[in-house]
Amino acid sequence: MSEIMISLRDIKKTYRSMGDEVQALRSVTLDIEKGESVSVMGHSGSGKSTLLSIIGALNPPTSGIIEIDGIDIYKLSQEKRADFRREYLGFVFQQFQLIPYLTAHENVMLPLTTTKRSNKEKREMAEEVLHRVGLANKMKRLPNQLSGGEQERVAIARAIVNEPPLILADEPTGSLDTKTGDEIMELFQQLNQEGLTVLMVTHNPDNTRYMSRTIMMKDGKLSSDEEDIMSAITDKRK
Amino acid sequence: MQLYHIAINNLRRRKAKMFFVLLGLMIGIATIVSIYGVVEAMKTEMTRQVTEFGVNVVIKPDAGGLTFSYGGITLPEIMYDVEQLTTDDVEAIEELPSRDMIRVMAPKLIGLKDHGQHKVIVVGANLQEEFLVKPWLRIREGGKKNQRTTRSEESALETELTEKTLENEEKKMDFEMIDLTRQELDSLNLLDNQIVMGSAVAGTIGVTEGDQLILSGKGMVVYGILMEIGSVEDQQIFMNLSMAQELLDRPEEITVIEMAVDYFAGSEEALLSEMNEVLPHALITSLRQETLRRDEMLTRLVRFGIAISILVLLVGILVVGLTMSASVRERTREIGIFGALGFRKADIVKIIITEGILISMAGGLMGFFGGTAMARYVGPYVSGMDIQMPWRADLLLLAIGAAVIIGLVSSVYPAYQAAKQDPVEALRFI
Repeated sequence: MSEIMISLRDIKKTYRSMGDEVQALRSVTLDIEKGESVSVMGHSGSGKSTLLSIIGALNPPTSGIIEIDGIDIYKLSQEKRADFRREYLGFVFQQFQLIPYLTAHENVMLPLTTTKRSNKEKREMAEEVLHRVGLANKMKRLPNQLSGGEQERVAIARAIVNEPPLILADEPTGSLDTKTGDEIMELFQQLNQEGLTVLMVTHNPDNTRYMSRTIMMKDGKLSSDEEDIMSAITDKRK
Repeated sequence: MQLYHIAINNLRRRKAKMFFVLLGLMIGIATIVSIYGVVEAMKTEMTRQVTEFGVNVVIKPDAGGLTFSYGGITLPEIMYDVEQLTTDDVEAIEELPSRDMIRVMAPKLIGLKDHGQHKVIVVGANLQEEFLVKPWLRIREGGKKNQRTTRSEESALETELTEKTLENEEKKMDFEMIDLTRQELDSLNLLDNQIVMGSAVAGTIGVTEGDQLILSGKGMVVYGILMEIGSVEDQQIFMNLSMAQELLDRPEEITVIEMAVDYFAGSEEALLSEMNEVLPHALITSLRQETLRRDEMLTRLVRFGIAISILVLLVGILVVGLTMSASVRERTREIGIFGALGFRKADIVKIIITEGILISMAGGLMGFFGGTAMARYVGPYVSGMDIQMPWRADLLLLAIGAAVIIGLVSSVYPAYQAAKQDPVEALRFI
């Protein structure tokens, strides 16, 4: 029997904006199994990024229960939640979000900074993942000395250096050309095949080809309607 | 990779901004160091002047009536029923609880003696103490050296050593002359049959170094002659106190006790009150006016220095604080990334505070060197005093300490700002 990596139960999220209440998520219930790769699609404002931030232990829901690997993450203290993010999650942000004054190697070492590993161990771990993403010869470069695809690879290396079981990616190919985007998606597919669970928010329907499941979000809810999904994919491809 | 690597790399990246912060800090710390250094050096110099350059307490018999003047001090001449000061009084002063405040005590007996048709002023004193309270006194160099050769064999070795010291000392600069004189003090240990004469009286009588002078039938050898200084000492003949008491037939008697008191070492009131208690028959005069005036000036100077330092410290805190705050605002997204990657709030605070302290310490170090150099080379012109400003480890600590305070205080708020940032907003997930 497969194990559940992410379990969302009746998640609601309401924001207050200038006196008005905006319901970003309306009762989302979802299970993602370990080893799955799931893409989340939907129009802007559909709540997919909010969903990702809630799963990423960054944004407490207004109500509902969320468990990752059986841990009720919002019952943890803020500091413990930071530790949880470090140990369990690998983030790949929009626009790479590398630290501009750190080299590729140092950027990858960032999640290891606050761990108790020795400096040597940290260096070796970072080198190993950079090697894995094909950037062994560009470790000393600053982000602005790398191409978009290379920066994305550094961001992925940073997300996996801590060997987390779950990767959360927000529009990882949004600022890449098609060819580079495909290469990056292949990398995600490879990571998934190695056992990592991948949850990816994307606007690009082509990316769904690399994922085992696609979830559609509409007005803060999950849409189980196969037609919605297909129409979204078709709309985007037009 | 540690947290401080992130701080260092960030500072390296923002070179231009950090350069101006560093420059501001350096100027600030240099100002504190130079003001503190100059004030401290002036304080030392003034204390030295107050305590060493002249007498600031005079004790004499309490008598009304007719007086005569000695060295600007009015002394009783005709002393009907006046209780004289004695060597017991000197011992009583030695026993006072506040004795440590008295740097030099110079008791002396002054009297007139006939020499042929001349009347000469005889001063019985400890010559070393006299020279300490009157540092302008000098013995003519040539005469003294010649005279040394006539001294007993017992003291020959000691003299030789002193001469060697003097030869070394001669290489020193002018401003060290006073200390050089102190080195010579060892050689001023007069034997009972030796005298030191003022230049005028030596000229009048017609004696020179090594000559013998008969006073009340006693043969006294002229050990040395004072350089002409144009004051009462030119007319005086100095000898040991006990010999003067014998010659003048005034055993145990003291005419006046002059003192150099260090007012910084304790309470002047306490010392005077103790002296009044043990010497009820004496008139104790504290020449405090000058000291007070200097004290007041010094206090004002110190206050001024403190005020400027506080002001500079505040400006430093403001400059670093504003820069750090601006830096935190610019780095919103970056701090959000740290949070998302699992940095605790405390880790983010550490990065910001490390940055503040690093930049401040660099400013502190540069400020120390700049400030000390300023105090060394500009201080003497500004203060108008011949002050010495060495490279001081305590000032280095002060500079680093002030810098760390600036760094810490100015980084606390930006660090708090950074720590409270919501990673979701920072990354614009919403």
